[in-house]
Amino acid sequence: MKIKEGFLLRTVAGSNIVVPIGAGSIDFSGVITLNEVGAFLWKLLEEPTNKEAMLEKLTAEYDVDTETASKDIDAFLAKLREANLLDD
Amino acid sequence: MKKLKVADINVLIKYGYPTLIKQAEAYLSDFDKENIRISIPDEELVRLQAENPHLSIDDVEYIFTGAAFYESIINFNGFLLHSSGVCVNGWAYLFSADSGTGKSTHTGLWQKYLGEDAAKIINDDKPAIRIVDGKNYVYGTPWSGKTDQNLNIRMPLGAIVFLERSKENFIQPISAQDAIPKLFQQTLRPRDPAQMNKLLDVLDKVLSETPLYRLGCDMSKEAVDLSFNTIRRDK
Repeated sequence: MKIKEGFLLRTVAGSNIVVPIGAGSIDFSGVITLNEVGAFLWKLLEEPTNKEAMLEKLTAEYDVDTETASKDIDAFLAKLREANLLDD
Repeated sequence: MKKLKVADINVLIKYGYPTLIKQAEAYLSDFDKENIRISIPDEELVRLQAENPHLSIDDVEYIFTGAAFYESIINFNGFLLHSSGVCVNGWAYLFSADSGTGKSTHTGLWQKYLGEDAAKIINDDKPAIRIVDGKNYVYGTPWSGKTDQNLNIRMPLGAIVFLERSKENFIQPISAQDAIPKLFQQTLRPRDPAQMNKLLDVLDKVLSETPLYRLGCDMSKEAVDLSFNTIRRDK
């Protein structure tokens, strides 16, 4: 799975924000703000990946147990799917 | 073609209808080389008017030359904020909201209660913000929405306030994270990735250095006292 084409993740004034560009701006006109972990997961999803690989990288980067990290990833992916931002 | 200096940018521009002639008068200038060229061919004006039948050709020229200017200003470390801008004691304060919320009403109340000599409207609807020599400035432009209230001056940006109507007057500082989605509702959003990156570079600096607020207000003097005393930078 992978984030759809047409989105740009940037830090602006200390906040992680995602804005649609090019084709992305046709379907989506909002701005997404992400916390630190959200931005970390978004970056992983800019390249094709799967949940296992994401879990490994998240637990390596942050001091978090596997169960919590797994729940966090599921919740994040669910939000992305809900907003139709993910290519499965 | 005529020559205007708008926001310290040399604009070579074609126009001929009454609204822009009047609005642009204070910006007429002279220069050898333009920074921006705006020329909407007559047949394009006609086509745009057919697409927007509620507008006159005069409106079309005024609106679409403004859109062209504000698309270009991103190349000069600037952006548009749909807002009413008021200047007091050497600072400009921008009140931003959807049309019809009451941003002009609020800045009009600043003029009423602080005095028209003390509080001047720099642009009632579409001020430009630009970073020049590392400082954040608000500029008046000929494009000020439905009113002719604009001044050919620049002032340091004092605060950006997102305004909403409320029966209770309140004002609170907000984070850049909370301000960014509101700001994106009130500016032109480039679709081109390079232009979007430039806009975000400008916003990164401006939003880091500018006090940001959310204001709920009615039309009372109390609302003006609250907003002015909270956001003023001239103390």
